[in-house]
Parts: sequence; structure tokens; C-alpha cells
Amino acid sequence: MVCPTAKTTRRIIVLILLACWELLPRLGVIPSLFLPPLTLTAAALFSEFSVYWQHLLVTLQEVGAALFFACGGGILCGMLLGSSTRLRRLLLPVVSSAYAIPLVVLYPLFTAWFGIGMQSKVVFASVYGFLPTLLGAAAGIQTIDRSLMMTARSMGASPVQQIRYVLLPATMPTVLSSLRIGGALVIVGVVVSEMLTSTAGIGFLISRYRTMLDSPRVFAAILLVLMLAILFDLLVQFAERRFTGWKKNVPAKTFP
Amino acid sequence: MTTMTTVSARGTVQVENLTQIHRSGERTTHALDNISFTIPAGKFVSVVGPSGCGKSSLLMLLVGLAQSTSGELRVAGRPVAGPDPARIGVVFQEANLFPWLTARKNVEFPLMIRNMSVKERETKARDALELVGLDEFGDRYPHELSGGMRQRVSIARGIVQDPDVLMMDEPFAALDEQTRMVMGDELLRIWERTGKTVVFVTHSLTEAIYLSDHVLVLSARPGRIIDRIDIDLPRPRTFELTSSAEFIQIRNRIWEQIRTA
Repeated sequence: MVCPTAKTTRRIIVLILLACWELLPRLGVIPSLFLPPLTLTAAALFSEFSVYWQHLLVTLQEVGAALFFACGGGILCGMLLGSSTRLRRLLLPVVSSAYAIPLVVLYPLFTAWFGIGMQSKVVFASVYGFLPTLLGAAAGIQTIDRSLMMTARSMGASPVQQIRYVLLPATMPTVLSSLRIGGALVIVGVVVSEMLTSTAGIGFLISRYRTMLDSPRVFAAILLVLMLAILFDLLVQFAERRFTGWKKNVPAKTFP
Repeated sequence: MTTMTTVSARGTVQVENLTQIHRSGERTTHALDNISFTIPAGKFVSVVGPSGCGKSSLLMLLVGLAQSTSGELRVAGRPVAGPDPARIGVVFQEANLFPWLTARKNVEFPLMIRNMSVKERETKARDALELVGLDEFGDRYPHELSGGMRQRVSIARGIVQDPDVLMMDEPFAALDEQTRMVMGDELLRIWERTGKTVVFVTHSLTEAIYLSDHVLVLSARPGRIIDRIDIDLPRPRTFELTSSAEFIQIRNRIWEQIRTA
């Protein structure tokens, strides 16, 4: 018997899950209020597509803006923090402690300060994704092999050339892995804050349809969030293959 | 007459009263003390000494990556003010290849940062890779090469601009013993073909004697030159030579100096 490859097995598992999603509520094993069948969910998504699309656009805008602040700021600050011993000693304990604060409980404050519109979501998600991104980038930049910079200098590279040809490619893996951490958290931050207090967005739809006990529509909205997260991950994966393909199979000892 | 001086100056290394004192905060380290020597063009010279004697400090000065506290340093008749890869090629202990570039692109790197045309870059890189016997491996990434091959790429990168002098800081120290011996012969072959001056810092006495025309012996910190030994063993040198009476005599002499230094 031929053993299926990992890829085939993964696909089979997904198919089984989808089949369960359809069959379990149909067979009455699970009440369809708790889990509406896949086909009903898909039908809800397509029949209300314009509504979903409109709210998805709001969510996307919020995610985009928050990504910019959380990842842009987080990566930049993380690199600064990671490359200066003094700054690291001074600030890293503070940042690490701040990371432990459950930010969600502060969300009511954010709505008080920034209203219930998009601003409060963007600010909350930015703060939510910022610290982990910063910590990831700070840790990543420390693993860069400093002798590569010296080597470039020995070959007559100017400071600008050292940054462009050595520091940037060397930090790329760190930047992308920080982006992955930050991006996932930003999506969580936006959707959760939309669910709590808002007037628009996918999270708002989830909340609204839930109070109406309209399960297929709730699940349709959840499906959209899942797809958003998967899409983001695929984008980062693509960038990783494109920019850090050299890192594949590199023994950790030589190039951390 | 003038041309004669320039020709003979190419590849000479002149060091006069070089002293280096590192200051970091409260601590001062006297690394090198009043070092003077001259290396004629085209010679292979090794620097040996007890660990921590400032061998590597000396090399960092020679390649322009550090500033001496006092004294003068000239390569090819001109003072060394900073890294100058067209005059001084450098090979470090670790190959220090950029892991995101192929072997060929690594060799092209010093040419690229000088804005040399792509075509010229490719030609020179191909020649350099061929010289180190890696013309087949130009498209491999560093992690796809063995330690010895990586160090060969590093040598190719060091000589791709045809410098007058090749400065090497324990280039084979990270390799296993067999690869090390192969690389020694390989380096001699490259040296004989290119006629470059080689300054070779090592902690292996056998390696130093086997490869060199002269061996400079440094004392413990602060590093001073305590001996300069001419190695008159015939070339081409072979492995058997390392067990000859003459070879062992030289090695014992150096070891005695280092032990008591």
C-alpha cells in the first residue's frame, strides 16, 4: 500500500473536517443553532455578500492601518532596542512587563478616548500588536552575525553600503517573522474590538448576528476572518520564500 | 629608476615602531609594543605567538580595520589609513560569507560595492573562483558548501581585486586537520601562481613553518617581535618534510621561545 504524503494527508484531514461540518448538524448530532451546516453558512455568505463585503472593507482598512503602526513601529523600535546594549538594559524589562498586561480590559478606555469608530480599533490593534513585534525584532536583530559587517567594512563598504547590502538582507528574516507575529495579533485586535463596541466591521457583524441567533451568518463572518488570517499568512510565506529562501536548511549554528 | 622603486614597492609591507594600546573605560590593554618589520614583495610570512599576544590585533591594524596608537604602517609604499581591498585582500578565521548570496555573488561583492560593471565583475569572479578550484560551484549558497570550500570562496573574494598583499587571520583554524593540510597546499599553489605577498597569522607552528619563507615570533602581551626565522626549506614542500630533522629543529626553537616568552 502506498503511504500518502504529508500534503495529501493534510488535505484529507481538511476534507474530513468540512464533511463533519456539513454532516453532523444535518444528521442532528449537533443542533444547527450551535453549528449550522457548511452549505447553509456558504449560502448566507453569498446571499448577503454585499453586506459582508462592505464590512470586510472596514475591517481591512483598520487592519492595514494597525499593521502599519504595529509592525512598522514595532520592527523599527525593536531594532533600535536590540542593537543598543544601553537601551536594552534600560527598557527591555519595562517592555517585557508591559507585555504581560491583558490589553483587552483597557479597551473601554480606548473607546472613551477615541470613540467607537475606526480610530479606536486601529489604536487598540496597533498597541496590541506593537509589543510582541518589538520583542521579536529586538531578539532577532541580536542574532545577526556582526562579523559580516566587519567583513563588508574590510572590503571597503561605506556605512550606507553596509546597511544596504549587509544589514538589510541580514535582518530580513527577523522583519518577516516579526511581521507574522504582529500581523496575526493585529487581526485579533481589530476583530475583537469590533465585537466589543463598534458600528461596522466583520467583528461587528459577528456580534450582531449572534444576538439575533442567526448562526449561519455568524459562521459566515467567522469564515471571512479565518480566510483573512490565512491570506495574510500566505502573503508572509510568499515574502519569506522570495527574500529569505537562502535561510532554508541553513544550520542554526552557523546562521541563527 | 623611479619605475624600479614602484615595482619593488608593490607588495612590500613595512611596519615601524607600531604600538597599540586599547582603552575601554578604566581598563587599558597594551596589545602591541613597538613592532617593526619589513616584508619584501612576494614573500610568504607567518606570525606566530602565544595565545592573546596580539596577533589578531596586529592583523586588524595591517588591514586598516583598527588604528594604531603610534607608529607607521605602509603597504606597497603607501600608508594604510583604512580598508583598501584593491591593495590589501583579507581572509578571516571564519569564511564570513554572506549567506544570502551565492558563492559567485560573494566573490563579486567587493567589486559590486565599487560599482564595477556587471560584465567585468562576472569575468573577475569567474577567474578568482577558477583559481581556487571552485568554478563549478559558483551557484551554490554558502550553506551548501563544505567548510574548506567556504574558506576557498573567502580567499577568492580576498584576491578578486588582485591586491598586492593577502592578509590572513588564522584562516584554517576552524577547519579539521585534513582539510587544513589540503588548504595549506592549495594556498601555496595560489601564492605561487599569483606571486602575492602573504601575511599569515596562525597559532599552528607546523603550519607556519610548512608554508612560510619567514616566521615572525611575537611575545606574550604586550606583543613584541622576539625572533624572525628564515625558513630555508626547499620548495615545493611536501608532507614528509614536516617530519624531517630540520623541520623539527625549527619547530622546537620556536616553541621554546613561545613557551618562555
